[in-house]
Amino acid sequence: MTTDAAPPTTAPRSTPRARRRRGITGYEALGFPTWAYVVFFFVVPLGLVLWYSFGYKPDLFNAHANDVLSLDRYVEALDATFIGTFWNTLRIGVVGTLICLAISVPFAYWLAVKLNPKWRPLALALVLVPFWTNFLVRTLGWQIILSPRGFVSDALQNLGIIDGRLDVLYTAGAVQLGVVYNYLPLMILPLYVAIDRAGPALREASADLGANRWRTLWNVTLPLAAPGIASGCLLVFIPLMGDYITASVLGGAQGNMIGQLVASQFNTAQNWALGSAMAVLLMLFIAGAVAIFGGIALIVRAFVRRARRVDLDVELPGGAS
Amino acid sequence: MSSPSPATAVIADAADATGSVSLRGITKIFGSATAVDSIDLEVRSGEFISLLGPSGCGKTTLLRMIAGFEHPDAGDIVVGGQSVVDLPPHKRPVNTVFQSYALFPHMTVAENVAYGLRQKRVPKSEIAQRVHDSLGLAQMVSFADRKPSTLSGGQQQRVALARALVNRPKVLLLDEPMSALDRKLREEMQIELKLLQKELGITFIFVTHDQQEALSMSDRVVVMQSGSVQQIGSTEDVYLKPANEFVAGFIGKQNFIDASVSGTDALVAADGTFAVSSLPSGAREGSEVRAAIRAEAVHVSAQRPAGGGLEGTLAGISFLGDAIQYVVVTSSGLELIARATPDRAEPLGTGDTVWCSWDASELRVFEAA
Ligand SMILES: Nc1ncnc2c1ncn2[C@@H]1O[C@H](COP(=O)(O)OP(=O)(O)O)[C@@H](O)[C@H]1O
Ligand SMILES: [Mg+2]
Repeated sequence: MTTDAAPPTTAPRSTPRARRRRGITGYEALGFPTWAYVVFFFVVPLGLVLWYSFGYKPDLFNAHANDVLSLDRYVEALDATFIGTFWNTLRIGVVGTLICLAISVPFAYWLAVKLNPKWRPLALALVLVPFWTNFLVRTLGWQIILSPRGFVSDALQNLGIIDGRLDVLYTAGAVQLGVVYNYLPLMILPLYVAIDRAGPALREASADLGANRWRTLWNVTLPLAAPGIASGCLLVFIPLMGDYITASVLGGAQGNMIGQLVASQFNTAQNWALGSAMAVLLMLFIAGAVAIFGGIALIVRAFVRRARRVDLDVELPGGAS
Repeated sequence: MSSPSPATAVIADAADATGSVSLRGITKIFGSATAVDSIDLEVRSGEFISLLGPSGCGKTTLLRMIAGFEHPDAGDIVVGGQSVVDLPPHKRPVNTVFQSYALFPHMTVAENVAYGLRQKRVPKSEIAQRVHDSLGLAQMVSFADRKPSTLSGGQQQRVALARALVNRPKVLLLDEPMSALDRKLREEMQIELKLLQKELGITFIFVTHDQQEALSMSDRVVVMQSGSVQQIGSTEDVYLKPANEFVAGFIGKQNFIDASVSGTDALVAADGTFAVSSLPSGAREGSEVRAAIRAEAVHVSAQRPAGGGLEGTLAGISFLGDAIQYVVVTSSGLELIARATPDRAEPLGTGDTVWCSWDASELRVFEAA
C-alpha cells in the first residue's frame, strides 16, 4: 500500500450515520457549557446552602450537621444585629446605586454623544482599567488614600481644607465611597451601550420638534436607555449588597455590611448552618428589595406613560378612530 | 390626504406666515472635504423646491444646516426674514421629515405626532384635536395607538409627515422621504405630497437623487454636484435647457456627441454634419464642443430623412413600457439612444441600417470640458 492511496484518517468520523447522530445532538452539545455551568456553579451550591441552613452546628469541631432539620437557624439569624446590619447594608446599597447612577448618566452620555468617536475606545479602556487590578488590592488602595496619616490627609490639611487629620477611614462613609468606586464601571458600561445604540437620529428628531436638550434627555434619551439603566442598577445593587471585602477593608471593626456577618459565620465561627441561614435570608431580602424597587420603577413608568398619552377619542366631532 | 377638509384649514395657518428661505454663501467643510461650497439660494414662500444631485453631493448636509443640526463654516441662513444661523434646531421655525423617519419607538403614533405640540406646551385638548387632524391628513387616524415598529415603511412615512406638519412649520424639510418605499407606493405618495403641499401652502425643501421624482413634484429644481449648485430653474428649464453638460447628463436620458463648430449654424462630428440653432457664446469656427440630445428627441427611421442625420446600425431594441428604446451604433462607434412612444415606433429590426435625426432646436451645445 502506497502512502498516496492511504484513506484519510478522519474518514470514520464523518460516516453518514455519525454525521446524522451529531446533527440530532448538535444544539444540545453546544448548550452544554451553559447548563453545566448553571447546574454546577449555581443550582448545586445554592441547594447545599439551603440544605445546610436547616441543619445545626453539632460541636466545636464540625461546621454543620443535617441529621435534625429545623428552622431554628433562621430564628437565630434574625437577631437585632442582623436586622440592624441589614438596614445599614440596604442604605449603603441604595445610596451607592443612586450615586453610581447619578455619576454614570452624564458620564455615559458624554462618552456616547459628546466625545469625539476617535477617543471613545481609549475612554472606555480607562473606565475598565480598575478591573485589571484585583478587587481587594483596589480597595486596599483606598485604605492608603483615606488613611489619617496618608498623603490626601496631609494635602487637605496643608491646603487648610480640614483641621486635623482626615477622619473617614473605618466609617460608613468610607464604605460608601469604596462601593461606588468598585461598582461604578458596571453602571457606566450598560448605560453607554444603551445610549450609543439609540443613535443620534432620534435626539435630532426631538430637537427638530422643539425640545431643548433637557427635554430631549428626559423624553427620548433616558426612556430609550431604560433597559441599560435597569441592568446597570441590578449589576451594581445585587453584588454590592453581598459585598463584604469593601466593608471589611474600609469599614473596619464597625462591620457595616451584612456580607461580613455571613462570612464570619463561615470563616471565624465555623457555623455553616447559621451562615447558610443568613445567606438565604440575605438573598431573600435582596430579591425582595429588587422586587420593591422594580415595582416602584413600573409605577413611575405608568405615570410617565399616562402623562404622555394622547387620547384622540375625547370630545372630537366625528372622531374616526 | 388630498381631500380638502377642515383639518387642512387648521394646519394651513402656516401659509399666513412667510416661509421664504435664503441661503447666502453657505459653506460646510468636513476635515479636508468641502461638502457644501458657497451656495446661494432664494426659496420663495410656499414653493416646492427640490435639491437634486447624485449621492454625496451635499444635499443632506445643506438640509441639516437649514434644520440646525450642522453649523455652516460660512454664510447666513434666513427663514421668514430672520437669520436663524445661530439658533439651535429646537428654536427654528422649520420641521424635518427624516430619511429614516426617526419615529420614537417607545411612543405610539399619536404620541409621536403630539411630541412637538407638547414641547410648545399646547393645551391637552388642542393637542388631541390637532393630532387627530394631522393624522387625518396622513390617513393614519386608525393607527393612532399603534407603535411605529408595527407599521409598514409607507405608513411610518405618513406618520413622520404628520408629526412634522402638526407643528404648522413655515418650512418643511424632507430628506429623500420616499427612498424606502417601493415604486408604486412612491409614485402615489409623490402625487399626494404635491397636492398636500399646494393645499397647505407650506414651503417644501425636498431632497432627492431621483430626477423623475424632482421633476414630477417641484416648482423649481436645484441641481447640485460636489457641493455646488449647477442650475436653479423650473422643471421645464432644467429638463429642456440644461445649463451645462452635468445637468444635461443628470436629467433625462441624454446622448453626447463630440463635434467641432463649422460656421455659425453647423457642427461637424465624426459621423457627419448637423445643424444647430444656438452655440455657446465662446464658440468660434473649429472650436471643440459637446452636443447633447435627449433620447426622446432622437427619431430613428429606416429611410434617410430629408434634413439628413447620422447613419448607424440598430444594435438593440427594448420595450420600456411607456416607450421603445433603440440603441444605434454609428460607424465611428458612437452609441446613440433613442426613445419613441410605442404608437410612433417604426417597424425596425436589429441589424438594420437606420438614420437618427432630430430637430435642431432640441440640440444643446456645451463647450468641451
Ligand atoms: N459628519 C460628516 N463628517 C464627515 N464628512 C461628512 C459628514 N457628513 C457628510 N459628509 C460628507 O459630505 C459629503 C456630502 O454628504 P451628504 O450631504 O450626505 O450628501 P448627499 O445627501 O447629497 O448624498 C459627502 O462626501 C460625505 O461623505
Ligand atoms: Mg443624503
